[in-house]
Amino acid sequence: MLRPWRAALAAAAGMLISAGAARAATTDIDLYFPVPVQGKLVIEIRQLIAEFNKGHPDIHVTAVYAGSYDDTNLKTTAAIKAGNPPAAVIMSANFVRSYEINHLAISLDPLIEKDGITPKSFMAEFWPALADNAVIDGHVYGVPFQNSTPLLYYSVDAFKSAGLDPSHPPVTWQDFVADARKLTVVKGGTVERYGFEMPGTYDYLGWIVSGLAMSNGGQYFNHDYGGEVYYDQPSTLGAVMLLDEMVNKLHVMPPGVIDANAAATAFFTGHAAMMVLSTGALTFVRSNMKSPFRVAFMPYNIQPAAPIGGGSLIIPKGNSPTRVAAAWTLIKWLVSPDIAGRWSRFTGYFAPRIAAYDLPEMKSYLAKYPNAKVALEQLKYAVPWFDTFETVAVRKAMENQVQAVLSGRATPQAAVVAAQASAEALMKPYVDQTALNIPQ
Amino acid sequence: MLALSATALIWAIPFAWMLVASLRSESASTSEIASLIPSGAMGFGNFREAWSEGSFPLWYFNTFLMCAGILAVQCVTVSAAGYAFARLAFPGRAWLFYLFLLQLMLVPPILIVPNLTTIVSLGLYDRLPGVMAPYFASAFGTFLMRQTFRSIPRDYEDAAMLDGARLPQVIWHVLLPLARPGLAAFAIVSVSYHWNEFLWPLIALSSPANQVLTVGLASFTSGAESATEWGVIAAGTLLVAAPLILIFVVFQRRIVSSFVFTGIK
Repeated sequence: MLRPWRAALAAAAGMLISAGAARAATTDIDLYFPVPVQGKLVIEIRQLIAEFNKGHPDIHVTAVYAGSYDDTNLKTTAAIKAGNPPAAVIMSANFVRSYEINHLAISLDPLIEKDGITPKSFMAEFWPALADNAVIDGHVYGVPFQNSTPLLYYSVDAFKSAGLDPSHPPVTWQDFVADARKLTVVKGGTVERYGFEMPGTYDYLGWIVSGLAMSNGGQYFNHDYGGEVYYDQPSTLGAVMLLDEMVNKLHVMPPGVIDANAAATAFFTGHAAMMVLSTGALTFVRSNMKSPFRVAFMPYNIQPAAPIGGGSLIIPKGNSPTRVAAAWTLIKWLVSPDIAGRWSRFTGYFAPRIAAYDLPEMKSYLAKYPNAKVALEQLKYAVPWFDTFETVAVRKAMENQVQAVLSGRATPQAAVVAAQASAEALMKPYVDQTALNIPQ
Repeated sequence: MLALSATALIWAIPFAWMLVASLRSESASTSEIASLIPSGAMGFGNFREAWSEGSFPLWYFNTFLMCAGILAVQCVTVSAAGYAFARLAFPGRAWLFYLFLLQLMLVPPILIVPNLTTIVSLGLYDRLPGVMAPYFASAFGTFLMRQTFRSIPRDYEDAAMLDGARLPQVIWHVLLPLARPGLAAFAIVSVSYHWNEFLWPLIALSSPANQVLTVGLASFTSGAESATEWGVIAAGTLLVAAPLILIFVVFQRRIVSSFVFTGIK
């Protein structure tokens, strides 16, 4: 009587063992991802990962939502310090340098070389402007995944009603200020439509100001060394003066600090004629703006320039070689032309992989939405994204001061001097250890 | 009276806005979203969208487990510690109590890395007990229970002792029932804090299956580089807050009397 039971038990045990063996052959890894643009991305990225898992039976990836870019940074750092690092992270591209400086991420060079190519030829697959935030001190630490530049969005109706030609958006600061003045509508002492609005909140503000400084001929920060910023130089001062002029003297831009939501809402409702937002917001604007809109390059004073934004894939330190290998397989799959193109079409980010634009789906997408092409053309003028030692704090040193200018509480001259002083104080430990560390 | 009504009105505005915004149809969401007055098409579209984009039943369940688990353990630890500080005489009691109070001054985020290290080494990372663990002891709760116990006259305990009750019986049958309003007030503070907490669950949990409401809500509503859909956010926020609002409405009288008893505001 016991026999069938035993057989069944043995069979069950056998199944358990083989299931265990099958599981042992799979490498479980996790990918931390932030949601920098729209909430629906969570669903899309989970679908993407499910697809990857299906095609790679030996790897099982869990996509882990990690909040905003800043939250993701916090969660990743905490996890690494607690000895529980994720296998891969989509990290704000300008945090990659801090990870290298603090020894929290691994260099990807050995993995690239194992595939039989040089790090240099690997990076040649991506738009050249992206390399500066991904290659730190000559080694690849980040793989660009989703990237953006700031764009000038403008309302066609507002342009027409102000007697401007919508097919000629402002190119120089001169045009920009002149158009903003014409586009501003004041009725009975209150502003009915502002010529221009932009987000003044953390991260966005620093990004836009760096873009203005760079289109004013400046560098804003030392791209090759994490201990120098040029906040009090004429190129940056001029950028802050432009904002001060538009807000406090010409009143073509609202005073105070508004966030991206408020700027977009003002744009949708006709209370702002032009705004600067990320290319990553393109899909969002397209689905919410009821009247026609177009996009253009950021206006410039000395030379066209647009800072890179977005996220790169990194592999944190402390993972086992099997997990690193699995993470590398995942990263290569995510930046393959097909997947990178799909992600770009879904989000509005541009695809960092050049070959993505050779695919027929991408060509028909660009033909259908010519606005998406502007970000791509702007790439010619793309400059690296702000990254220094203690990136966030040094960035905020400037943002706090520009916010004071936008609120009419500081002059541009005083603001840039104060920002430079606090930024230098923040970077001092790093500078002392590196550039000022002279052999004795 | 007028000032009170005005204050109440100001407090009510965000809730009223949330309700109106959540009921606006999607097409109206950008133009009239700031208005408090219902206009245009109204409906439950935002709720449907929020519900379908998130896994609310799972998040409710996890959040409930987390809050209930924390509270259950806290009730034991804060009553025991509160009793010790209120009634037992031992050397260094005052200093130890100050040390406890000092803990109130710490900002939770600075403990994130040490706490995470502890739960990782305990094997509790990405598990609900791991999220709960750092809250098992509560300085605030200990303080509150100490004050509550001290406000109960010793005569009750002495009478019970005379009748032959032992210490555990005294605590269980005499002190705790008398301290119930204090415990209730603490429970409200604890549950509403942990129900609404974002950063620690975000750090300590990873799998979608273990996600709680706050992190879940953020996962489909927040976005930095583009603007957001206010209607869906309002609906999602209402869904997250609904259980707490419901509890408050049902137990309103008791909650208010608990707070009056303990003097918390």
